Amino acid sequence: MKKVIFLYLILILFSCKKEKQVFQVHNVNIEQNSANKNHLKSTTEFLSIAYFHIFETAIPTPRLSDLSVLHSSFGDKKLIEQMTIKNFLNDDGIQISSIDRSSIITKTTFVRETYKKLYNRIPEEYELWFILNMIEKDADLTAEIIYFSLMTADEYRYY
Amino acid sequence: MKRRKFIKNLGLGTAATIGVPYLLPSGRLFAATGYRRANHVVFCLFAGGVRNLESVHKSHGNLMPRTLKGEETRTLLGIDSINNDEINGPTLQEQGTLYKEFRFKQGSTGHYGAHATAMTGVYTGNVNINANPENPTIFELYRKHNSPSMSAKNAWWVSDSEGLYANLNYSSHPGYGANYGANYVRPSSFTDGLGHDSLGDPKEYDPEVVEKIKSIRGFCDANFSPQYSGVANSIVHDEADKIEIENFINECMDEANMGGFSNPSAWNWDLPSSSFNGDMKAVHFAEKIITEFQPELLVVNMHTADIAHSDFTKYANNLHKMDYALAHLWNHIQETPDMKNDTILIAMPEHGRNIEGNGIVDTVNPDQQALDHTHKAGSREIFALVVGPSGKVVHGQDFLVEKGESIDIVPTIANILGFDNEIPGYLRQRMGEVLAESFY
Repeated sequence: MKKVIFLYLILILFSCKKEKQVFQVHNVNIEQNSANKNHLKSTTEFLSIAYFHIFETAIPTPRLSDLSVLHSSFGDKKLIEQMTIKNFLNDDGIQISSIDRSSIITKTTFVRETYKKLYNRIPEEYELWFILNMIEKDADLTAEIIYFSLMTADEYRYY
Repeated sequence: MKRRKFIKNLGLGTAATIGVPYLLPSGRLFAATGYRRANHVVFCLFAGGVRNLESVHKSHGNLMPRTLKGEETRTLLGIDSINNDEINGPTLQEQGTLYKEFRFKQGSTGHYGAHATAMTGVYTGNVNINANPENPTIFELYRKHNSPSMSAKNAWWVSDSEGLYANLNYSSHPGYGANYGANYVRPSSFTDGLGHDSLGDPKEYDPEVVEKIKSIRGFCDANFSPQYSGVANSIVHDEADKIEIENFINECMDEANMGGFSNPSAWNWDLPSSSFNGDMKAVHFAEKIITEFQPELLVVNMHTADIAHSDFTKYANNLHKMDYALAHLWNHIQETPDMKNDTILIAMPEHGRNIEGNGIVDTVNPDQQALDHTHKAGSREIFALVVGPSGKVVHGQDFLVEKGESIDIVPTIANILGFDNEIPGYLRQRMGEVLAESFY
């Protein structure tokens, strides 16, 4: 009897165990993407930053002055900002890199870099997916169109 | 039995549905039933500080012959001769009711505060000239208390005065603000070359691309909206109105670039370019808005009379030009089919000027001095003129004794447009009275 009990214990102690599956996830920051953006850019800030983002150089003072006058001369600020960016984008000197469509990595890089540049943050996964999906589906979607869309969205008015 | 019950229930349900109040976009129950005297109001601030002495009292003859009836000979030198047949017919005074002794009774006799009073219907205390007014403007009252609530395309504030006047398109009052503000425009910024040079060469997107932009922007806005604090110091248009207004501004800039805004005769202003001043340009831009949008509420100000601080003759001459511009504006309204016979024009200076000169002797008319506006006698004396179609506005009626004050204009506009009873009591009680005797 003792031998039987001994053998039973040996079997229990040294038998194969069912392997437990452990699911792990990456740490994801679930903070609201724009949670810290509650400061409206002033006219000067908006114009200076927008110019820099499109031309990668500081806006000349006379141009800033002229555009500031126009902004203060019109009630719908979003509309006048949109008109301003449309004029910037029609300039030959714009410095916007085109989308490198050679691989998913290069397209992802474009989206990440654009968000970092314009919104000063990395895109959330669903934002990345949405823009990438649009790029993949639409060969005519240019970097400039994406810039215009993001720069005329509400978030661009805040920092 | 069952059929009868069904029909009865159906009837009750239908009656209940009809009886259920509708919650309108403005947040009120039921549509406004206010009677409208007219569907359009144009309020012209005959501003810059105009003394009754030079205007309605005609102490130097009739400097405003298109506004005021009378052939009194002008006794001042240096007044432009605006002789043309373009604006004929009865004077504005004959086409409406004139309050010769209107008053701006309280508050600083500064331009901004007096403008704020005229446009809010409430006397201001120590007004912060770098901020929006504390009380709701006529634009906000109009847009919020009409049913359905009105879009910004229906409310315009045109002022060529620089800087702080932009703040008058909406107030900081809780529950009102930019959501109900007007389209503010400073015309000369867009018509003197600056606009075209800076904004006249936009990237143009075809409709297919516009849809892509809307899709991406809409996605971004949807993500950001929980954090987005209101409209961020700006009025807002819906997409269709935005396109219309953008096209309108672009057309104006193109016209300016081709010299259209420096050639008054091209606009049916029969004047030499040298006579064409900022007030006339502002009024002309207001006329373009009238042609394009037929707004229900348009406020335009003139301000060149303020040169009186240093030059009496130029002040009197500008007053003469303001008279011409006001009559031109009324003519233009009558030439706009959708507004003819359905518009009431109100004109009023924001405040007067001192009776006493400031010591700067005029070089052209040496018996005159330049004039300030420092709360002294004269600076609170103004006039008001209500002009409109016969049968709606009483014609040829003049009030010669003191009657009415500048806080009466906002409730009067609200009355014309049928929403005066919708203004909350706590606001309404601070305003003046409706100038009811002007109307039938």
